[in-house]
Formats: sequence, structure tokens, C-alpha cells
Amino acid sequence: MSNWLAETYAVFAKDWKSEARNLYALNTLALFAITTLVLVSVGLGPMGVDAAGAQVLPFLLWIVLLFATSAGLPRAFVQEEETHTATALRLAARPSAVFWGKLAFSLSLTWGLEILVAPLFLAMVQLEVASPGQFVAALAAGGFGLAAASTVIAAIIAQARGRSTLFAVLSFPILIPLLLLVVELTRDAVGGFASDAVLRQLLLYDGTVAVAGAMLFPAIWNP
Amino acid sequence: MTTHLDAPPVSPAAKPAAWKTLLAWLLWGWLGLVIGAAFLWVPAQAAGFQNPIAYRILFFHVPTAWVSFLAFLAAGVWSILYLARGRGRRHDLAAAVAVELGLAYCVLATLTGSVWSRIEWGAFWNWDPRQTSIVIALVFYAAYLVLRGAIEDDQTRGRLAAAYAVLGLVVAPFLYFVLPRMMPYSLHPEPVVNAEASVDMENRMLTVLLAGAVGFTALFFWMHNLALRSRLLAERLEEEAHL
Repeated sequence: MSNWLAETYAVFAKDWKSEARNLYALNTLALFAITTLVLVSVGLGPMGVDAAGAQVLPFLLWIVLLFATSAGLPRAFVQEEETHTATALRLAARPSAVFWGKLAFSLSLTWGLEILVAPLFLAMVQLEVASPGQFVAALAAGGFGLAAASTVIAAIIAQARGRSTLFAVLSFPILIPLLLLVVELTRDAVGGFASDAVLRQLLLYDGTVAVAGAMLFPAIWNP
Repeated sequence: MTTHLDAPPVSPAAKPAAWKTLLAWLLWGWLGLVIGAAFLWVPAQAAGFQNPIAYRILFFHVPTAWVSFLAFLAAGVWSILYLARGRGRRHDLAAAVAVELGLAYCVLATLTGSVWSRIEWGAFWNWDPRQTSIVIALVFYAAYLVLRGAIEDDQTRGRLAAAYAVLGLVVAPFLYFVLPRMMPYSLHPEPVVNAEASVDMENRMLTVLLAGAVGFTALFFWMHNLALRSRLLAERLEEEAHL
């Protein structure tokens, strides 16, 4: 078990070391998110939206996050194939350690992106959140789901042609239930309505995708 | 690992067994009866519909929707078998063929549903929960075929496509929680067998609907068998040509 943890941590640390060399994923995620955020804010105009229009804002927040992560997260596996290091990684760590290490890396990127984007979004569109705790829970659980699904899909598309477009094509149908649940939870957080059932379903989605991903990963990863 | 190469060489003169030919004719006869009954035997006008004559599309729309669901479920099962039982080529191709046929049935169900929706509710589309689910299924399984097209090696294509199909199968049930809550008012009629397990349909209509579902299910498996054998034969011929 300790070996497994050490291998998982080694994969996570390797990805961050590799990321620190060129900051490719970080820059892509942050710039994509901020550009989209500015576009959304400009599109809504200087007065923002009225109370009825505010219903659509949580959806826009998650669209920004979804598109930003889809631009940066596939990097976790695509880079291994492009730099021909995938075989070395297969020899160095067991598949489950690779999966959870990569998931931890994607999760840290996603949560970091949310810490940057969510306050900016709230400020730029002038949206007040009635239940901040629930809002943070939505970001945390939604971010985990995004990272888990993206990790599995990234592992799949890394071994195919047309990786950049394929990621969006494959991941969006898998992410639709997550998106619907997390938008509902965020909307309830903004309005101050309790929605424990939605949070439970979102956590169930997260757990299901992570466990299914971990179970399928050896078949995806090993040729 | 078992492959189709273990089978004897292809014989161009091979003819189907007599019982298979008989089954095929029985299927055509059955479907002919269903089509005839849908126009001639069911009540001329049914209560509860805006257009009492056009309701007959029900006998084709519901079976095609059912078969698309069955085909996608079968594709998921074949994908699990592919991953769990030695990655045989037959399981991979069976899943791919099921998805292709399922998509065709899904498009038919969507088109017939849209036509009926226009007649009954005045609009081709209104994001009813079942309409939303069918669009998501179309997008997912179209993505599955795009993935298959993006990988050249048979073994790599098989395991990645199977993993993706299984992931979709695992995630799909969440839509059943979410969509009814987001769209609580469905314009679709109650299912034939509803939550109270009671059958709420006129007897002749129910008979034709169930006969249609049985006929379309048999048609799916017949088409699946033909397409799968044809695909396996094509691969064998290609490999024998390279030997």
C-alpha cells in the first residue's frame, strides 16, 4: 500500500515538475478561462443581468470552466505520447498509481482554475451568492467530476488521431449529467436554496466516474 | 485469444440452413402482419390524441425507440465481454455493429417522434425528458463511432472503444435522476406499463404495439447477425488475400 502511495505521489510530482518547465497546461487553462470570462462579461453588458437573467449565470460559469479544462486537461496523457515517455511510465508505475496520480494532477489544476475564475466571474457579472458554503461545495464536487472524467477520456484520446478535437467530442456526452447537476447546485447556492439531494447525486456521479475510470484504466493504458 | 482466423476458409458456395431461411420468412410475415394490423385492425380512431388517426405512428415509433435502447445496452454488454473475456475480435465487432444499428434505429425513433410531436403538440421539438435523453444517446454513440474511426490498430481500437462504451453505460443512469427534475412536465403519454404496473391501453392497440416490439427486436438481431457475419467474412477474405 505504501509503495502504491509512493508511486501515485511520484506520478503526481513528475507531472508538476514537467509542468513547471513550460507551464503549458496552466497558461492554457488560465488564459482560455479569462478570455472566455471577458467575452461573457462584455456580452452581458455593463449593467449585468436582471434577477430573471441571473438564472443563466451559473450555467455560463460552468461553460467557462468546462471549455477551459477541455483545453488544458488532456495534456496529462497527450504529453506522454508526444514525448514518447508513456512506455517508461508503464514500466515505472502500476496502472492504478498512474491513474490516481494523473487524476490528482488534473484535480489540482481544476481546483486552482476555479480559485482563479470563480471570484472573477462573480465580480465581473455582479452576482451575489446567498449560500457561499454550498457554492464552494458545488465548485469542489463539480471540479472533481470534471477532473475524473477528463482523466479517463484523456487517456483514451492520447492513443488516437485528432486528439485536440476528439477530447471535446468524447468528453461532452459523458459530462452532460455532471454539468446539469452542478449547474442546478450552483443555481440553488446563488438563490440560497438547500439542495442536499443534488449534492448527493453529484458526489455519487463523482465516485462512480472515478471508480469506473480506475477499473477501466488498465484496459485503456496497457497495450 | 480466439480470432476469426481459426475458422475454416470461406466457402463461396455455402448456403444458409433451411431453418434460417424459414425464420427469415417468418420474420417478414410477422412484420407484414404488424404493419397491416396497425392500419386495418386497430380502432379507426383512438381517444386521448389530438389527431385520432395519426396515432398509428405509435406502432413504429415506440418499437424503434425500444430497439435503439436494446442495441445500446447490447453494445455495452459486448464491450464488457470484450474486455473481460480475452478481447476476441467477434465481441468488438458485435459491439460496433450494435452501435451502428442502434444509431439508425435511434434516428428513426427521433424522426417519427418529431413528426408525431408536430401533429400532437404543435412543435417538432420541445426538450421533453425523453427527447433530451435520445439526443444525448445520439451524441454519445456518434462519438463512439468517431473514436473507432480515429484508431487504426484493431486491438487498440477494440479496447479503447470498449472502455468508452462501458463508461457511457455507467454514466447514463444519472440522466434518469436529473432530466425529470429539470423538465418535470413530459408531454409523452404514460408508458404502456406504468409505475403502478397497470396496462393503460386498448387491447388491440396493445397487442399490435407489443407484436411490433417483438418484430422489431427480431429484425434487429437478424440485421445484427447479417452485418456481423459480413464484417467477419470481409476481414477473413482480406487477411487470406494477404497470406
